[in-house]
This record gives sequence, structure tokens and C-alpha cells, in this order.
Amino acid sequence: MKRLLIFASKFLPTQSVYAHCDVPCGIYDPKPAQIAAATVVKMVSLIDELPKENTSVSDRNKFVRCVLTKEEHARKCKEELFILWADYFKPEHLKMFPSLHEKFWSAVKLCSQNKQNVDAKLASDLVKAVDEIADMFAQSKAAK
Amino acid sequence: MHFFPLLKFKVYGNSMRPSYKNGEQVLALHFFKNLKINDVVVLKNPHKNVKEKYIIKRIAKVSKEKYFVLGDNSRESTDSRAFGWIEKKDIAGKVVYSL
Repeated sequence: MKRLLIFASKFLPTQSVYAHCDVPCGIYDPKPAQIAAATVVKMVSLIDELPKENTSVSDRNKFVRCVLTKEEHARKCKEELFILWADYFKPEHLKMFPSLHEKFWSAVKLCSQNKQNVDAKLASDLVKAVDEIADMFAQSKAAK
Repeated sequence: MHFFPLLKFKVYGNSMRPSYKNGEQVLALHFFKNLKINDVVVLKNPHKNVKEKYIIKRIAKVSKEKYFVLGDNSRESTDSRAFGWIEKKDIAGKVVYSL
């Protein structure tokens, strides 16, 4: 069977199939960054709800898991923002969004701040910052 | 092309590493029956108006004839986490062999 497949394949035309995303395939979406930012908010809320004194082993386990998840999603959010910033947005978008670089810069800084802190305000600011970028993304798509 | 049961593809990109590397060739069956979790499929790119017609991903979840597909290299993959569940009609072939 294997030999038959290999033999048959010699006569087949080769098509391209893309294993995104290190090729310029044009597939970009702010959704993963938005989901990651929303996860950071949720983790901060879960951490805040944990008892501060007389913690059980279960509480401490949950605390560590929440911090790990917050850390991972803040990292992921930053990575997704970098992809949009570096790969999707082009110099011509600066005419449409003069504050583009500032918005991205603030958003990625917020990712780091959310790693360093457990702060509902910082988490909420991150969601807002990512939503603003998602809005710019949507506007840029609509303008095409 | 789709009248022929066997399709040959060359993989471009890194989202399926380490299973399928950039430049590797795969064979896919256009006619297939039950798809299950862990099957690797070639699907029509959910993002229209791009020159890349097909993408390759692995089935991670199956629900009511819909499929949630992921790249093996999740850090470099745009997949169902971004474009959502896909339908069977969007699947061009089931990968059966790596050349």
C-alpha cells in the first residue's frame, strides 16, 4: 500500500498547503489577544476572591494555578500584539491611525505590568487597550 | 482536481512542527469517512481573498460534524482558536502519508 501511494504520488501535481504563520499568508486576527487579555482579568478576579488568611492547601494550589495562567496569557497577549504590530500593520496605516505605535507600546507594557502585579485596574486597562487595537484592525480591514 | 482521490501537497510554514516541517510533502485522501481526533487534515483557508488556498491542521475536538483544528506548534499557528469550528465541507483531504 505504502509503495503504491508513493508510486501514485509521482504522477500527482503538487499543491501548496500552508502551516501558518511564518509565511506571509495574510491571516491576522486580534481575537487571540482579546481572549488572552480577558483571561488575565478573570485570573485577577479569581486571585482576589481567594482567602487572604488561614489558606488551605487547595487555596494555595488554586492561587499558584491562577498566577501561572495569568502569566501565560499576559505573555500570549504580548506575543499576539507583536504579531499584529510588526506583521499586519504597515507604515501606511500610520496615516489612518497616527497614535498606532503609542497604542501598541502602551498595550505591550500593560501585558508586562499584569505579569508583575495582581491589579484589577491594570487588567481592565489591558482589555481596553487590546479592544482599541482590535477596533483599529477592524477599521483598517473595512478601509481595504 | 477533486475528482481524483489522492492529493499531494507541499507544506509551507511552521505551525505543524515537529510533525510536518516546512518543505515536507504529504499525501491526502480527498474521499474519507469518519474523521477523528488527532487526524491531520488539509482544509480550505477560512480567510477568503488570500492567495493561500489551503492550510494544514490537526483535529483537536469533534462535535456534531464540526471540527476544532489546531496546529501542533501552537505558538506559531493560526487555527480554530482564531477562526472557530470548521465543517466537513471545508476539509479538502485527510493526510495519510508523509513523503
